[in-house]
Amino acid sequence: MAQIQRPKSIIDSIGEEIIKILTPVSICMFIVVILVSILNADSSSASTTINTIATMPYTGTTSDSFWDKLKGALLNSFFFVAIVPVVTFDLVLLFYLRCTQFLKLYMDFSIPIDCFTFLVALFKFAVVGVLAVFMPKMAIFVKQVYLVVVGVLVAYWFTLLPEWTTWVLLVAMALYDLAAVLLPVGPLRLLFELAISRDEDVPALVYEARPVTNHDSGSGTVRNLGNGSQENLNFASVLDSSLTIGTVDVGHQTTRLVRAEEGQVMERNAELSAPLIDHRGGVQLHGQGDTVLSESLLLEDIGLGSTGAIKLGLGDFVFYSVLVGRAAMYDFMTAYACYLAIIAALGITLMLLAFYEKALPALPVSIVLGVLFYFLTRLLLEAFVVKCSLSLVMF
Amino acid sequence: MTVAAGIGYALLALGPSLSLFISVISKKPFLILTVLSSTLLWLVSLIVLSGVWRAFLPLKSTVWWPYALLIVSSVSFQEGLRILFWKVYKRLEDILDAFADRVSKPRLFLTDKMLIALAGGLGHGVAHAVFFCLSLLTPAFGPATFFVDSCSQIPFFLVSAIIALAFVTIHTFSMVIAFNGYAEGNRIDQFFVPIVHLVAGLVTLANFAYGGCIVGIPLLYLMALLTLLHCGKMVWRRLTENGSTQ
Repeated sequence: MAQIQRPKSIIDSIGEEIIKILTPVSICMFIVVILVSILNADSSSASTTINTIATMPYTGTTSDSFWDKLKGALLNSFFFVAIVPVVTFDLVLLFYLRCTQFLKLYMDFSIPIDCFTFLVALFKFAVVGVLAVFMPKMAIFVKQVYLVVVGVLVAYWFTLLPEWTTWVLLVAMALYDLAAVLLPVGPLRLLFELAISRDEDVPALVYEARPVTNHDSGSGTVRNLGNGSQENLNFASVLDSSLTIGTVDVGHQTTRLVRAEEGQVMERNAELSAPLIDHRGGVQLHGQGDTVLSESLLLEDIGLGSTGAIKLGLGDFVFYSVLVGRAAMYDFMTAYACYLAIIAALGITLMLLAFYEKALPALPVSIVLGVLFYFLTRLLLEAFVVKCSLSLVMF
Repeated sequence: MTVAAGIGYALLALGPSLSLFISVISKKPFLILTVLSSTLLWLVSLIVLSGVWRAFLPLKSTVWWPYALLIVSSVSFQEGLRILFWKVYKRLEDILDAFADRVSKPRLFLTDKMLIALAGGLGHGVAHAVFFCLSLLTPAFGPATFFVDSCSQIPFFLVSAIIALAFVTIHTFSMVIAFNGYAEGNRIDQFFVPIVHLVAGLVTLANFAYGGCIVGIPLLYLMALLTLLHCGKMVWRRLTENGSTQ
């Protein structure tokens, strides 16, 4: 009996790019939650005060009053957020003066790594990691793994901060991110414009989700997963992805976006005679710990170097994981609620990205939703659910 | 009681959903997104319900009728949300079909639609299990255990995991039944789902009585079995109808 191959339906491929970004974010958050629940189980928050830049103005104890704690937290965050633009403007200046070598060297020393006792293992790991991140020909999977590991370590370090400071800091960073990316004078926006005008990448820690390549061969679709350093990405996949993201958006914007992309989709099959399409979306840019999400649709030629990838800054990973880790320190229910909120907000940001097609800050929506869900869960949901399930009354 | 026991309880509640997820849902990214959005919807509904009930909340745990009221109101709210979910899904189906026409791929098959409904139901079930069972499991990883009056023979965590498993099954498959009922306009299916949900919720009230879970849990599993059988019958009927017309 012959095997009948059913033609692939569309739900096989829609939403693939979103999942490719959601998966590493989820893995990072999951590892941070596990680390937090294992390592922070014995120490209370009063004894783990660390001396860092973020706690310089104020390291309080749990016996302080409400206003003292709030004031201290605001002071900490203000201090921290004040330092970040200074550093970012330095980055802009160096990039402007084309000191990219210096930036790369600086990055090597600024990656925070915990104190391992096996220096050799550390050294090897660091060498491989740095090579993976900065050499463009390295296998992309290694680079992605290393970025997620760095994100986990930095996020874990941040969860050691006192509680109030962490929450206020998250909100402050979200506001700063909004300003830095959208205001014309913001440092990240200047970084973008420089990079676009020079048509190159900013050297920074950026997570890239390479899309799959789709070759339309008659009835079915053949898929090559984008592992390894695949620079040749069929521009059809890029257009497919932008079309995908556009059409899943349920709303009034859908029809407009779909019509805009329609012309380009028609050219998908005419590979030889398709014109050069220079569809410039935003350029992916992320400073140290700054957070921007953008989709780059830079196409040079058919079949040559096109990077139709969604890029998410490592700072995003870190702050999402800090939020979920800190929620996990209270209870797993809050951690799960914050996880869902962040994923939903990331989805919303990706939709907005497909709609606006320029670099967008990835922090604000997620942090706002995450903090909102944390407090709602902690104040409202917990009492309700615990009461019900302790009496074994469920629905 | 130990880490092993804690993981065991978690797997008891979520094991079938995990295997369903890995074998069926993880292959198609769209279904993963559906699971995530339906979980979020369930969480939001829980938050709204807890917001409404918060003022009344320190309920005396000996009296059972406020809990009955709570269950009836919660179940009706969630069934209302299911209808909303269905409307959103209809709109999404139109968009997906339009997209499929544009890229000249086949439209949504019947199995696709059922898979989306399954993913939606799984999201609800997983959310239930996580919030009602897993979030209480943290003490189970430690050295001791906990017993309640209504089920003094087995640890509390085990009872909670067993109940969660029944509810996961009910939620997962009633979504398939409900979506099919709304699509076909089948009254029986449309009323079957809310009634089963309500009865299942009310049956857990039996856990108030001393030793009540001996009655409560088998009845609950009866409801879960009923849902499974009805769903199986309906799916078989639809697929054979569809197969014979193609």
